[in-house]
Amino acid sequence: MRNPLGRPKALLAAGAATALALSGAACGDSGESDADITWWHIQNQDPLMSTWQEFADDFGDEHDLSFDVQAIENQSFKDRMGPASQSGDVPDVFHTWGGGVLAEQVEAGLVKDLTGQLDCIDSINPIALEAYTIDGKLYAMPFDAGVVGFWYNIDLFAEAGIEAPPQTWDEFLADVEALKAAGIAPIALAGADQWPGHYYWTYLAMRIVGLDGLEQAAAAGDFSGEGFEQAGDLVAELAALEPFQPGFESASYGEADGQAANMGEGVTAMELMGQWAPQVQRDASGTDGPANLGFFPFPTVEGGAGAGTEWLGGGNGYAVAADAPDEAVEFLCYLMEPENYARAIVDGNLTPVAADTEAVAPDLNADAQKVVEALATATGTQLYLDQAYPPAIGGVINEATEGLILGQITSEDFIEMVNAAWAAEA
Amino acid sequence: MSVKLSPPDSPVRRPALGAGSRPRRAGRPGPGVLASFIAPSLVLFLLFVILPVLFAAYVSFFRWNGLGGVPTDFVGLDNFRAMLGDEVFLGDLWRLGLIVVLSILVQLPLAFGLAMLLHQRFPGRTAFRLLFFVPYVLTEAVTAVLFRLVFSPRRGFADSIMANLGIDAQIGWLSDRDIVLFVIFGILTWKFFGFHMILFLAGRQNIPDELYEAAAIDGATGAQAFRSITLPLMGPTVRLIIFLSVIGTVQLFDLVYVLTGGGPFHASETLAITMYEQGFQRGQIGYASALSIAMFLVSLVFALFYQRLVLSRDLKGSLTTAGGNRS
Repeated sequence: MRNPLGRPKALLAAGAATALALSGAACGDSGESDADITWWHIQNQDPLMSTWQEFADDFGDEHDLSFDVQAIENQSFKDRMGPASQSGDVPDVFHTWGGGVLAEQVEAGLVKDLTGQLDCIDSINPIALEAYTIDGKLYAMPFDAGVVGFWYNIDLFAEAGIEAPPQTWDEFLADVEALKAAGIAPIALAGADQWPGHYYWTYLAMRIVGLDGLEQAAAAGDFSGEGFEQAGDLVAELAALEPFQPGFESASYGEADGQAANMGEGVTAMELMGQWAPQVQRDASGTDGPANLGFFPFPTVEGGAGAGTEWLGGGNGYAVAADAPDEAVEFLCYLMEPENYARAIVDGNLTPVAADTEAVAPDLNADAQKVVEALATATGTQLYLDQAYPPAIGGVINEATEGLILGQITSEDFIEMVNAAWAAEA
Repeated sequence: MSVKLSPPDSPVRRPALGAGSRPRRAGRPGPGVLASFIAPSLVLFLLFVILPVLFAAYVSFFRWNGLGGVPTDFVGLDNFRAMLGDEVFLGDLWRLGLIVVLSILVQLPLAFGLAMLLHQRFPGRTAFRLLFFVPYVLTEAVTAVLFRLVFSPRRGFADSIMANLGIDAQIGWLSDRDIVLFVIFGILTWKFFGFHMILFLAGRQNIPDELYEAAAIDGATGAQAFRSITLPLMGPTVRLIIFLSVIGTVQLFDLVYVLTGGGPFHASETLAITMYEQGFQRGQIGYASALSIAMFLVSLVFALFYQRLVLSRDLKGSLTTAGGNRS
């Protein structure tokens, strides 16, 4: 017989195929797993990665909950949070830097209001809460806070005959020249990642127009003016000295040949980076890092409005999804229990946000100590611009700084790009 | 080429099986059966292909960060106007054209030549065929990670080879804006020449040996036979490979994204990377949708023209009369 499938059988087969195809489609990609609490964090290096996992397991056992903990690399985390937010399906607990990105998520109704919900709020330094407070409401719990500054290899500086770290921009440029003359690549930079470059422009803008000037520009969405133009020119001036390691244009931050690894192996003399830098230097290079690592604030610019005690910085925190179970909020405070937090501080080289630092971190390591001191004497702080501003504008600032550093655009182009981004956002 | 699944019907009609029942035309399912088999894939196609395309077209008229339900801020053609003034987008088109031209000029002749060589009989021929095909089996992301190591600036494989050859040049394989695109083209060639080679090989094997024998009897030289038999009869394969090559280049994403992220400063960026960064990193879903529509149009216009003008001879019958002439 030519037609072995009789009609009823054929219909049945077709129906089964439909059912299979549709059910296959239905259980396709979903951001969340079946676990009671999903947690996305970026502490993807041991020992803290294992410690977080352990805390989640212990808390889960105690409350009879299942956890799905995902340790994700920084950039990948940002890449995954975008689509997750857009699909309205964010993890129950997720990493946040606060600022404009968090504000957008809050506006979309994805984030739980934590005001008055955290039992452990009194154990946290109120200053650390600012980046996560939007319209007077708290949307995340910080567990780490710090500043960006120059981490430098003291031995390499000495080799180049530099006795004290530079205080002003001119001294800084002179030191860069001295290091080059001594055959040392002065600065490690992850050109491909863009965000490490944006620290330079931001700090120069902070030093020239001051924090008030920056705030006014952001409020008006207008970065025109001599001060911002000078900031761009100084970035270009620095780049023209060719201070970065060879191949920096395609280097990333945490890879084996990236910015942090160059520092860890003692190949380059300094990097402009946040409180996490020493740890990543060791992790990325697989070494113990430079024997003598120093820290100095971004130099001041002559005639500028900003002071050397004003820091670019930010911290790390956890936000809770609007539809997460109450235990997720409880879990945040579980992390902050003095015993647990003290261990996390040591394992992750965190810079504590505790109201009473002595209690949780009696013997803080030397690197973290430097950051804590900088924060203690700070006269002002500014959150990283790519987090403080909406993603569209932060992205343009990162991109434009790369253009400046590579000599592809001028400081006027820079201002034009950023202003256009603000105009499109308004 | 047609594949025969069953012996042809006997020219003599068999007597009907049951007395009184009308003879049924065997192998012709009725409309109900046809519909029940087509419906599932049609539903899926509408749901997962047509609907998203239409939705992207709709979203491209809005300014939307992708959050909170549906877009509301209608901006007309603003996204498309911005796109035409966007140097990155125009650069993407330029880079797309460059890679396509390079592929046709370099990659395809290379694959063609190798296919001709490997068509000859010699010991180890299968091993070579296999070896050349292996790069194509790797996923693009893995290929990119591999070549990141090869071109790593301080102790990469490429630099150490150069050093061993006594060439002391600092080549920024992936970091020099002027050469990064050519390095990527080199990697694409490495990855895809084997695939194209296999297609050429299949095309070559379809040419009957009798033609060459006849040519030899007529006193044709090898070169004459190549020019008058091989080249014209390989035409369909060449046209197909160019088509696949162009469509693949339009979609180029993972390899470049993992390798360079499109940098330094857009020097290796592709349409898909621009779309991804605008949409998922900067949250400009409206603008990214406009870019995706542009990508769609580029592919569609190319596919239509190419099919009409170039492929029409090869495809005659296969698409236009639903599986060939039934008479």
